[in-house]
Amino acid sequence: MTARDLLTRMLPPLTGWLAVGALTLPDGSPARVAAVAVFLTAGPGAALVRIWWPALRVPPAVGPAEDWDTRFTGRSGVLERLLLVPLVSLAVLTVTATALLAAQAFSGRRVLLLLTLLTLLAAYCPRTRPS
Amino acid sequence: MPGPEGDRRDRRDGRGRGTAGDGGSGRDASPPDATAPGGADPRAPQAGVRGPSGGTGPRTSARRRWSAVWPVGPLAVALTLWAYAVRTTHVTELDDFGLVSAVHPAYWAGLAVLAAGFWFTVRRPDRADAWGLAYVLGLLVMQRATQALVYPTPLHAWAWKHDAVVGHLLTDGGLRTGAELGDMAVYDQWPGFFAAQAAVVRLAGVENTLTLMSWWPLLSSVLVLAPLVLIHRTFTQDRRLIWTGVWLFCVGNWVGQDYFSPQSLALTLHLAVLALVLRRFPGAEHRGSRQAVWTTVLVTLMVPVVLSHQLTPVVLIVSLGVLALTRRHRDGVPFLAAVALFAAWNLTASLPFLSAALPEMLASVGDIGANVETGYGTTPTGAGAVTASWAARALSATVVALAVLGALRRPELRRQARPLLLLTGVPPLLIAANGYGSEMIFRVLMFMLPGAAFFAAAALLPRSGGTRGAVPPPTPARWLWLPLPVVLAVTLAFVPSYAGKDRLSYFPPAEAALVGDLVESAPDGSLVAAANRNYPQAYGDYWRLDHYWFLEEDPAKVERILSRPARTLALDMKDVAEPGRAYLLFTEGQRADAEMNGRLTGAEWRRVEKSVATSAYFRRVAHNRAGTVYELDVRAVAVEEDAR
Repeated sequence: MTARDLLTRMLPPLTGWLAVGALTLPDGSPARVAAVAVFLTAGPGAALVRIWWPALRVPPAVGPAEDWDTRFTGRSGVLERLLLVPLVSLAVLTVTATALLAAQAFSGRRVLLLLTLLTLLAAYCPRTRPS
Repeated sequence: MPGPEGDRRDRRDGRGRGTAGDGGSGRDASPPDATAPGGADPRAPQAGVRGPSGGTGPRTSARRRWSAVWPVGPLAVALTLWAYAVRTTHVTELDDFGLVSAVHPAYWAGLAVLAAGFWFTVRRPDRADAWGLAYVLGLLVMQRATQALVYPTPLHAWAWKHDAVVGHLLTDGGLRTGAELGDMAVYDQWPGFFAAQAAVVRLAGVENTLTLMSWWPLLSSVLVLAPLVLIHRTFTQDRRLIWTGVWLFCVGNWVGQDYFSPQSLALTLHLAVLALVLRRFPGAEHRGSRQAVWTTVLVTLMVPVVLSHQLTPVVLIVSLGVLALTRRHRDGVPFLAAVALFAAWNLTASLPFLSAALPEMLASVGDIGANVETGYGTTPTGAGAVTASWAARALSATVVALAVLGALRRPELRRQARPLLLLTGVPPLLIAANGYGSEMIFRVLMFMLPGAAFFAAAALLPRSGGTRGAVPPPTPARWLWLPLPVVLAVTLAFVPSYAGKDRLSYFPPAEAALVGDLVESAPDGSLVAAANRNYPQAYGDYWRLDHYWFLEEDPAKVERILSRPARTLALDMKDVAEPGRAYLLFTEGQRADAEMNGRLTGAEWRRVEKSVATSAYFRRVAHNRAGTVYELDVRAVAVEEDAR
């Protein structure tokens, strides 16, 4: 595993623990808001997309009939991956918070801890294999 | 017809190393700096683009440098004008034209410069995406950040209602039933968006969502760009078409569903699901073992849509169903997954609401006339409201007409983008199904817009001149100048459509403070009555306070109230159990809504206020320049009743 691989793998849970640590900062302080916002909008999504992507990238995507820009396909793939990171993060946040509310067990800290643990777990999961 | 991009891999890039279809595969061996804006030279195309050689002479170099930098100019000028306009705009005295007349003229100049700069920047089919993105982001900032900066409080009573829902979840820490919350329990049956916001509020350590509410239109509009661009990129490589489509989507999306609401997030997720299905779910014959992973991704994105919103999952299911019927995307998995999730949620958590609403929903099926009606008390009244209303209609009609024209005059695009054409035709079907609280026509427009904007852009651009081989030529002068007035007109028409009724939507700090103090100090079980619900915290603490809006009664009852305002209202409000009290609230926001939607004239409003102010039944308990709070003297009403 290269240093870059390790960083890609461990950065999402690290931002989660930073967000947990930021809860000790004063209410509404910019550093706290930033740490929480970065993790909630990117952490879980980055961790899960890292696992999924080897399998996701293999099949050819449907694209335009034109072929004058040979880099077009690659850029669409990058956009697709960038799109998935925040949307999967927000999806996981929504499901976690809703589940805790339905269980009458909602609190902000519980949401954050659950998401951080999920992200940590995802970081230790092997990536899917292209098939 | 679009095909799997990987099928053309060997033809397109003999140098490619990778085997997969993503940007990280290293398929392209072109130098990375070629993706910079400077790569979009009129003679030397960006790397990876097949086109004529750029030449090597000093004049060519100078031209290349100029081409690389000139789009910065209009963008910088526009944003500077906008910044100046925002700094010098004052909104203390809004008239009936809202922000249209309040904003400094520099704003309009900036918007025109931005639109013209955009149009000339994207004239090349191979212009780097960074420029299109920069201009569209500039447009969104000018469109959706202006209100956040010039108004000290968030706009829209509906957004304030959603803040109240988040407040309820934070206070209760759980979901409640209809028996406990009445009509507002519907939000506990689709709580996804609010649950996420409740977590954000707690974790950020802020009191409420008000700051987020102000900036949400910008955030949600930026978020929707990625799936929108991805959808457009599925059908063309032509950057003019892609970014002009995105531009028209931004200016045509005046409907205002970008505010702090479940549907704003649900729209993004809906478009993301469609983009992924269009790109990654070709016909079943192409299906492979990756299907399970892609289906997992789709389900992950669909779940919050189902948890958050009533209408969007329906549109999603119908859209996926239509796609599954086409030869190009004949794969029922996404459709079945959406149906299963929708059924699972609606037959369990939201069943109480659905079972109560089902008879009315069934009755409205096929009643198209009723489904497109805007409802009682929503007739634009006064020059400002009428102008805004007609500007919005003209804007939508222009985009739809351009879309029809674009689809008609570009048969090759009609073939290539047939799935998108079909998806654009799905939302109007909803009009036959339901009125959605008199809002269906607006929602239909919103869901049509991603596809309509793409084809509308095609109407403004020349045919690309073949789909194979070298990069298409730049837009000829004729096609550059003729559509420019249209681009300018629709860009400017967005402002009255979106912000022309800000007198209705804006609640000054005095109004927010007056209502906030009332909600905070009212004992449990109190009744807060008002003319209508157009004021901040119209649903404040709804889990412990009752709210009543007398202009929403049927017309006969409203007539009775207008004939003897104080007495009729007092009798309506008197049955409040101790320790609750009954309050009557008049604010400028309510007055603006009553006047601009044709519910009351100014004279009628003043008569109601005067009747209450001089009545023995009511006692004034709070007042500022934005409104007045009266408390009902229940004993006085009882004495009067006994005397009769």
